[in-house]
Amino acid sequence: MFVGARRLIAAVTCGLLSAQAVQAQGTTGRITGRVVETSSQGPLANVSVTVTGTTLGAYTRPDGAYVLPAVPAGSYKLRVARIGYAAKEVPVTVVAEQTSTVDVSLDALAAQLAGVVTVGYGTREARDRTGSVETVTGKTFNTGRVISPEQLIQAKVPGVQVIDNNEPGGGISLRIRGGTSINASNEPLFVVDGVPLQVGGGVSAGRNPLNFLNPNDIESISVLKDASATSIYGSRGANGVVIITTKRGSQGTQVTYGSSYSNSLVAKDAPLLDAAAFRAAVQQYAPENIGKLGTATTNWRDEIQRAAGGQEHNLAVAGGKDAMRYRLSLNYLGQDGVLEGTTARRIGSSLNYSDRMFNDRFEVKTSLKASRNDDWFTPGGVLGSATAMAPTQPIRNADGSYYQWIDPLGANNPLSDLALLQDRGSTFRTLGNFEGRYSFPQIDGLSLTARAGYDFTQSARTTFSPSTAQSDVESSRGGRIDRNNPRQVNTVFEAFGNYTRKLEGLKSDLDLTAGYTYEKSQGDYSSFFAQKLSTNLLGSSGVPGAETQGTFLEIQESKLISTFARLNYTINDKYLLTGTVRRDGSSRFGPGNQWGVFPSFGAAWRILEEGFLKDKTPFSDLKLRYSWGVNGNQSFGNYLFVSTYSTSNAQALVQFGNQFINMIRPSAVDPSIKWEETTSNNIALEWGLFSNRITGTIDYYNKKTDDLIFNVPVPAGTNLSNFVTTNIGSLENKGVEFGLNARVFEPKSDGGFSWDANLNVASNTNKVLSISGAGSDAILTGGIAGGVGNTVQVLKPGYAVNSFFVFKHKVDANGKPVTGDKADAELYEDTNGDGSVNFNDRVPYKSPNPKLIIGHTSNMAYRNFDLALTARAYLGNYVYNNVSSNLGNYQALKGAAPANLYAGVAEFGFVKPQYFSDLYVEDASFLRLDNVTVGYTVRNLRSLNSVRIFGTVQNVFTKTKYTGIDPLAGVNGIDNNIYPLSRTFTAGLNIGF
Amino acid sequence: MHKHSRMLMAAVALLVAVGACTDVTVEPKSTVSSANIFTEPTAYRQFLAKIYGGLALTGQSGPAGNVDITSNDEGFSHYVRLLWQMEELPTDEAVIAWNDGPLQELNTQMWGSQNSFLGQMYYRIYFQVSMANEFLRETSDAKLASRGVSGALATQIKQYRAEARFLRALSYWHGIDLFGDIPLVTDADVIGKTAPQQAKRADVYAFAVSELNAIRNDLPAAGAAEYGRADQGAVAMLLAKLYLNANVYAGAPKYAEARAEAEKVIAGSYSLDANFRRIFSADNHTSPEMVFPIPQDGKKTQSYGGTTFLTHASVGGNMNASDYGLDGGWWGLRLKPEILPLFPNNGGPTSADKRSAHFFTNGQTTSIANLTNFNDGVGAPKFSNKTSTGQPGSDPGFADTDYPMFRLADAYLIYAEAVTRGGGGTRAQALTYVNALRQRAYGNTSGNVTDAQMTTDFILDERARELLWEGTRRTDLIRYGKFTTAGVWSWKGNVAAGKTTEAFRNLYPLPASELIANKNLTQNTGY
Repeated sequence: MFVGARRLIAAVTCGLLSAQAVQAQGTTGRITGRVVETSSQGPLANVSVTVTGTTLGAYTRPDGAYVLPAVPAGSYKLRVARIGYAAKEVPVTVVAEQTSTVDVSLDALAAQLAGVVTVGYGTREARDRTGSVETVTGKTFNTGRVISPEQLIQAKVPGVQVIDNNEPGGGISLRIRGGTSINASNEPLFVVDGVPLQVGGGVSAGRNPLNFLNPNDIESISVLKDASATSIYGSRGANGVVIITTKRGSQGTQVTYGSSYSNSLVAKDAPLLDAAAFRAAVQQYAPENIGKLGTATTNWRDEIQRAAGGQEHNLAVAGGKDAMRYRLSLNYLGQDGVLEGTTARRIGSSLNYSDRMFNDRFEVKTSLKASRNDDWFTPGGVLGSATAMAPTQPIRNADGSYYQWIDPLGANNPLSDLALLQDRGSTFRTLGNFEGRYSFPQIDGLSLTARAGYDFTQSARTTFSPSTAQSDVESSRGGRIDRNNPRQVNTVFEAFGNYTRKLEGLKSDLDLTAGYTYEKSQGDYSSFFAQKLSTNLLGSSGVPGAETQGTFLEIQESKLISTFARLNYTINDKYLLTGTVRRDGSSRFGPGNQWGVFPSFGAAWRILEEGFLKDKTPFSDLKLRYSWGVNGNQSFGNYLFVSTYSTSNAQALVQFGNQFINMIRPSAVDPSIKWEETTSNNIALEWGLFSNRITGTIDYYNKKTDDLIFNVPVPAGTNLSNFVTTNIGSLENKGVEFGLNARVFEPKSDGGFSWDANLNVASNTNKVLSISGAGSDAILTGGIAGGVGNTVQVLKPGYAVNSFFVFKHKVDANGKPVTGDKADAELYEDTNGDGSVNFNDRVPYKSPNPKLIIGHTSNMAYRNFDLALTARAYLGNYVYNNVSSNLGNYQALKGAAPANLYAGVAEFGFVKPQYFSDLYVEDASFLRLDNVTVGYTVRNLRSLNSVRIFGTVQNVFTKTKYTGIDPLAGVNGIDNNIYPLSRTFTAGLNIGF
Repeated sequence: MHKHSRMLMAAVALLVAVGACTDVTVEPKSTVSSANIFTEPTAYRQFLAKIYGGLALTGQSGPAGNVDITSNDEGFSHYVRLLWQMEELPTDEAVIAWNDGPLQELNTQMWGSQNSFLGQMYYRIYFQVSMANEFLRETSDAKLASRGVSGALATQIKQYRAEARFLRALSYWHGIDLFGDIPLVTDADVIGKTAPQQAKRADVYAFAVSELNAIRNDLPAAGAAEYGRADQGAVAMLLAKLYLNANVYAGAPKYAEARAEAEKVIAGSYSLDANFRRIFSADNHTSPEMVFPIPQDGKKTQSYGGTTFLTHASVGGNMNASDYGLDGGWWGLRLKPEILPLFPNNGGPTSADKRSAHFFTNGQTTSIANLTNFNDGVGAPKFSNKTSTGQPGSDPGFADTDYPMFRLADAYLIYAEAVTRGGGGTRAQALTYVNALRQRAYGNTSGNVTDAQMTTDFILDERARELLWEGTRRTDLIRYGKFTTAGVWSWKGNVAAGKTTEAFRNLYPLPASELIANKNLTQNTGY
């Protein structure tokens, strides 16, 4: 190290001396500047910058900067050009002895393919990539009421699934090429302006932790899919990486204001019996309960639903002078949910700033974001109660009080719960990044970047139930308040160097990046509860005297220390090679397992550059690429390798004589636990036709994950519990992705009709390869509502992850399922042929994973109008309809408080619950028009630069055979009283000043 | 120019500095590792408390949370709750109404190896064994010497070790009684993934017997221990039960030994509680009859098992939950009709035997048409969360009532049964013990039996009357050969009228998941 440093210093010193000699001219000036790609604002290298009418010219460096040192004074036009981009000519006046700065942004030519893709620790031009990376930019983001950043790219990128739970801003999962894990997280790594976020995007006391980011601040989202792209993130890259880059300013001043108002309506509700049908059912199947039938007609689910309003305001001030750039934004968002009690609110701000100094050699960049999200939830149980409450009971008694069943087993009146219970989360989060990059003048192409970032979250989730709430009355609990206060601080420090060089003799380009990162995470989880409250008057805002109280505190810390290197080597602009290696050290693993190495390799061949093809085909681009690499997944708990003693709480004491003793218990661990490892291969063909008017990609990949972490049963008596978390098992994902972008119509003249279209199709199949090394056993998953401990899914070698695990329902002579009140043996096949029908006859059946995912986006424009639409289809995905299985039998009528039934009960006629029938595993293939937006833009209206008004409808229609509310019922395909699906109408206005 | 060099120097220095940060080790802060927990002398007592607590609680957070063994539902994973269900539900004493998982299979003896309730009991047993083994490893002479433990603490630890071995033997007894041939894992085995071999039932039985004999003198005299902890009385009682069933466990009767151990219990400082109801009430810790209780407390020892389960699950229908000191009933447990004729007047309100005084018939049918309907079958809320003087327990949600794992009356009946089976002692003494129980039940001598009436079969019925719903019926029926191939009661064999079942059901199957995890195991015949 030190020898190297001395040499470097020597080289630098020599360089400085020679640099001095160049100065001292007479009547010339300098032109400098930077060329970036418009949408991502990423630097463009190798752009030719020429002064028209002269022989003067230069190419941009990797950071996009160029210098024309000696241009005779005068007025010129600068021509800025690069293959794949629309060339620009920019006027410039050169004054002797002075420097003129000309920054240029170039637009990529392909319809949707960004010219520059953001990759880990840098950017790369799309045409030079060897890995599977796709960048979606502002132009094609989803619009309307978008609360979470992930929703921006729903249906936009092949192989990327964005699944939400229908709540505003609620529980979003993002899957890239299927999940690689079962017990660790399957969420990708999110990197925001260079700062990697914690698992799943960080902590939140509310809904999606990424909601702290205002989607309007986002410039581009890059999705890194294959190992060549992700392995620079080593032990966190197995599920892919999503790099979010926020907007920056540009020359001049831009002030924009956007505002929108929306209204959401329930699009589809669960089919339940109405009052008349319910009354008839009770009379037929539970005559003993006729006396309990009320005389009212109440649609309980209607009562808790509403038309939900929302509004959003965004103000941004951006600009720049010389090399300085800034952008400041302020956002307010409020959106109610279609269920009473649900609200999402955000107030956030963001500041981005960058500047260059010391002859443009040193660039500083910073981005700061801070927001507060308030998430109010419809109290737990309200939706379930509204589903189960008998439709013949009134909302209120004659005396005005809420009607309640006398029997405690009956559903609570949901409106009473809505009025009394509270469940609220608030999250304050701030994220900051400070970055400096220095380009060494002595060694051309060498730069060093240092970056420090933090991510701080402070949140609170409070639930409150007064002593007057029905469940408290019934259980004599006397009211309860719970409050969780998670706090998390992550800090990251990174330093990396980049060196690029043209090796003329070898006709090659070299681009080397190497660096070091240090990340530390500190979580502080405190909580308390109080029960048997002395008063309800403080609500959730204070702790009154309470008979039972408990407090809890846990500190969680982790560290990740890494070194990494990447070499891009391009020969003759024809053969592209990338090698990456990352060495990660993680505190999550025990001594001997802390360090792991994650390599990858990628190669691409630009076939079109071969002489035999050049200019002889309609192809404007043709490239074959292949990559291989290894990634890890360490997204699970800390300290899994240390056996620790936990102390029991005040409600778990053991009596010895007159004393009550806190118990201590050692934990069962596998000291040699380590990360999960995914090895992947990717082969792809990229092409462009007719000057890239049509571009496309087809990718085939397979990913095999080994050392899957499972909490598995160990032989009884060999460890300190029956289950131990350890590395056992493997699974596989493979698939094909197809992406097509076309400028279907190109405008013949300015304002003429244009139509850009994108179609993406992805097919992914996954399979459990082994568990426990035994190859024969099965792990039950997929807990359902109904009974205790019932599950309907399985992990079994040879079958898809979380395949449904159910009885084969018998069919009659007409091919219809056998229905009615019959014994198991009459309803189900004896699949193992042992003469009796029992749990051993359940078989894996269908999978919740879609066989095919299709996304389509169209962007059209004509004169001042623009139209965008996004559609999505899933084929071959199945959902277990738990509402139907739980409430689809007449037994629920027989209890002390008869419960309402799923409308399907009449078809099946089951008296007892048949939770494990394959009849409830429904085909949930669907086609949905996700989004239609129409806009009208007026430019240069008086003093305003532009005014755009728009209207959006989200979730326009869904076509499916699935009988429940939503065929997209969660990631795992179990539909149990999910949040109602809504349709949202938004109207808005954007003004550019 | 200088600026540039300085910047470069700074950059280089920075790289050197950060390059040195390569230590990724992070120690947990909110939990204590095994390396330093025992620097606190109280840790030994707290760890011992865990082994006792494994019988009373389901995890480290009451009433639920930080669970000891992985299960679908923590409340169901309670040691006593699982044990009680397996001892009572398949017999003529009890049925449960709930449809949770394969719970109904217990009512009908139609269980399979996938039944999660059986599996959880198996894992509960080995959790106890593992905790005891780890305790013994952590308190080995070498470990104690290395920590410099001596004096009073060392003396205490000697007793703690004996208690840990008692609790291990207790669980091994449950293990062989329920599952037959099971692995024998001791503190001599090291923690790891090496699967243990399956041991013969008789060998595990012999191990338990030898352990109990070995530790006896390290424990206080019978009745002298702190409440809730084991003493020589508990040891003698466990030995008496092992010996009484020795013919089942090891194929060789040991009635004389059973009688001798019962005598040791009876000789201890216990006496019959004059108030029968107090034994099952919230203040039963004051009962002189307790030999080995599992203490519960409505505030400090909370779980959804044990007597919290027994009190709540027994209440439903027209019963008034507050009469039992409860916040509500769980509508679960009732009597099977076949047990009623054992009581005078079928246990009705006029029964002279007050041991059926808690039976509840209002709104309940006698016969059971529908297992899952609480109103089918006579209610029998034997355990109550009210004190013997009628005061409610400290919390209506969680019972104060301690679970009487062993009590004196059982020792009386073991003595009597051993005598009738030729295990020595005297019939006169046996008759005195039996009639002592009956006098308490009748309030006078009108219920006394004669020597001629005191047959071996009579003792089985008397056990049902005295120890109804106290978790011993299945073991008793098997000892008498009346659990499977003989004896018919409602829903046995999954028919309403009941039918005999195959003999292999005298043992429960080893859990299917365990057969996968441990390839050394062979499933019990028939499963």
